[in-house]
Amino acid sequence: MKRRILALVLISVLLFTVILTGCGSSGSSSTGGQTFVFAQGSDPRGLDPAYVDDGESSKVIVNVYEGLLQYKSGSTEVEPCLATSWTVSPDGKEYTFKLRQGVKFQDGTPFNADAVVYSVGRQLPPNRTDDMPYASFTFGPVTKVEKIDDYTVKFTLNAPYTPFLANLAMSLAAPIVSPTAAKAHNGNLNENPVGTGPFKFVKWDKGQSITLERNDNYWGAKPKLAKVVFQFIKENSVRASQLATGAIDAMDGLDPNDVKMLQDKNMQIFKDNGMNINYMAFNCSRPPFNDPKLREAVSHAINTDELVKYLYQGYSELANSPLPSFMPGYDKDLKPYAYDPEKSKQMLKDLGKENLNIKIITYSNPRPYNSVNGQKLAEAVQGYLAKVGITATIVPYEWAEYKTKAGQGEGDIMFYGWIGDNGDPDNFLSLLESKEIQTTLNTAKYANPVVDQLLEKARTLPNGDERNKTYQQIQQITGQDAAWLPISHALNMAAYAPNVKEFAVHPTGNIFFKNVTK
Amino acid sequence: MENNPEINNLHLPDEIEVELEQAESRFKSMWYVLKANKAAMVGLVIITLLLFIAFFGKLLMPYNPYVGDLSKSLQAPSAAHLLGMDEQGRDILSRIIDGTKVSLRVGIIAVAFALSIGTFFGSIAAYYSGKVDMIIMRFMDILLAIPSLLLAIAFMTALGRGIDKAIIAIGFVTIPEYARIVRASILSVKESEFVQAAKVIGNRDSVIIFKHILPNVLSPIIVRATLGISSAILDTAALGFLGLGVQPPYAEWGSMLGSGRGYFFNAPYIVLFPGIAITITVLAFNLLGDGLRDALDPKLRK
Repeated sequence: MKRRILALVLISVLLFTVILTGCGSSGSSSTGGQTFVFAQGSDPRGLDPAYVDDGESSKVIVNVYEGLLQYKSGSTEVEPCLATSWTVSPDGKEYTFKLRQGVKFQDGTPFNADAVVYSVGRQLPPNRTDDMPYASFTFGPVTKVEKIDDYTVKFTLNAPYTPFLANLAMSLAAPIVSPTAAKAHNGNLNENPVGTGPFKFVKWDKGQSITLERNDNYWGAKPKLAKVVFQFIKENSVRASQLATGAIDAMDGLDPNDVKMLQDKNMQIFKDNGMNINYMAFNCSRPPFNDPKLREAVSHAINTDELVKYLYQGYSELANSPLPSFMPGYDKDLKPYAYDPEKSKQMLKDLGKENLNIKIITYSNPRPYNSVNGQKLAEAVQGYLAKVGITATIVPYEWAEYKTKAGQGEGDIMFYGWIGDNGDPDNFLSLLESKEIQTTLNTAKYANPVVDQLLEKARTLPNGDERNKTYQQIQQITGQDAAWLPISHALNMAAYAPNVKEFAVHPTGNIFFKNVTK
Repeated sequence: MENNPEINNLHLPDEIEVELEQAESRFKSMWYVLKANKAAMVGLVIITLLLFIAFFGKLLMPYNPYVGDLSKSLQAPSAAHLLGMDEQGRDILSRIIDGTKVSLRVGIIAVAFALSIGTFFGSIAAYYSGKVDMIIMRFMDILLAIPSLLLAIAFMTALGRGIDKAIIAIGFVTIPEYARIVRASILSVKESEFVQAAKVIGNRDSVIIFKHILPNVLSPIIVRATLGISSAILDTAALGFLGLGVQPPYAEWGSMLGSGRGYFFNAPYIVLFPGIAITITVLAFNLLGDGLRDALDPKLRK
């Protein structure tokens, strides 16, 4: 008798669990349209555009929020979004935007000039706080933002600044947040994002996934997908095998090594120019690499072409300067340092630096601009250096620790990279400006007054030939000074299932799910 | 335990002689049993071979294990490169040969380190009992309560990378295992007549512990140490896999596995062969350890 009761209890528990799990999977299709599962490497830092600085956050943010302007698909040219038109004063210091009417935030708050003033105003001094990593970049030259009428706002800058329009289309700092929601959450929407975008936030299971659902009140063409789930799967190869088995619909951060396996399983590979640079920096602030001749000698010892072909298996583009080839101001005539170990040896000998001993610091994880990881790149370089008689010790760090060590100027050589924010050449080349040594962005600690002056000048020039020429001049000088050894521009790579349509990675690394279907 | 016929013999030189003779005969009979155990012999042969590779690796390596040719990266196994090439264009066979040295060195030295310290504290705790025993063994219990690999990782993070640091980390975390075994074994013979006799004739405590007691409890310690080497090698590989092993460009099996795991789909040999090397080595020490246990256990001997 006892046994029977036990069996009955067990069976009912079993049935109950089956029913419960069954409910979970059937609930999603009721709203019409599909659930799309996208896998990325890790959790976002947060979901308030003012408080984050990473790509993983940005990918979710662009689907929930919108800015006044947006980039055209596949390029960094700007086009209207929440602003319908704009005018710039002749002195280049005042920007006036006409706002789109009839737009509502996902919480029902109307979108208007007050919302823009709130969103931007909280990131301007004196409201700006230290935990707003992009505020000073995106809104750096802005002195005030004013409401002219309900659907007109005016930005005032302290000096003409050509990249400003491009900045307003960025996914960090620039997107407009709902003032009602922000005020309800102490001004920080990291956990409770509310924007005007095509998808609205449902939930965030930390370390697992973020769920978004279609915003049925979206002002533009309604998205076709009912839900988008961002899953966080750390290992590249695990994401790839999840895609191959059909557990997810798409993934980014595709490792070149998994391409063939995915193609064999009929998966689609997305490949496009990436707006990034993967580079090696010499520490120019102290011996031995404060000598440009020595930097040149070492640059000749490293076969960057081979690194691109074999270490990155061709899924990167050889770099000749910090700028990716599709960006304005790119100098296509600039030649990368030729691989010439004999010349390098001779130069080292002439400088009396044979048997040089140096320390290399690097990061141990893959980065969007370096799919293999910093340590493997450093090991390959260590091999080349050994061939010209330089002994290099590699010290790898975890990413977070690495950023600190790099900032402190540890090591003689370091590896780093940059992912473009706004498609403006200033965004890349100002990394070599001497005032950025203090912010640690100038990792090479390179200081050249001529370069500083040219950068200052180019910032105020209107887009066009003269500006591009100035940037070409800067690339020539920095190329000669060899503070960086530009290595490669990684392709933006992603993979998706064969039934998925309209899936693309924007040059900024973002993925817009508005038009995606499956 | 062994019956000691010499306990009543108060003439010192003779006593030592008898002990030595007895030790020799014990070793002989152990060897006899061990020889009959085929699995253990396979283990022993493999270990001898590995030691040979570790010592003469430089002569056996077909290529430089540290500097590769990137243009040959990820090549599949071929006549020129028997086990293929890694992602840096380095010969995998040469790197595995180079890694043998590291694994054996860390395994053996870490165990020797843990064994000597563990034996010292274990015997003191057992011999003096009371408060000393309490303090030493509770400390060992605390060490045992923390997962050993986690503790080793914490050590490595604090000390930095490198073989010497791996040895200290792995050695340190295994001290309690040896201390416990030694303590338990000593407790079982401490009250024996031969120990009492040694005390009565006025031997110093250190002489009693190291000359009279320890030789009689060697068997379980030898067995534990042999098996300990295999787990130390596994721990080394685990640390290497997590990126805490040797400095690049030096080769270590675990770090070869760790850095090669991304190539699993397109170049499986990068992870396959170091994996096999670890398996074979660990298996060899386990087989030998099991064989030794059988050979040294008086209950199983006849």
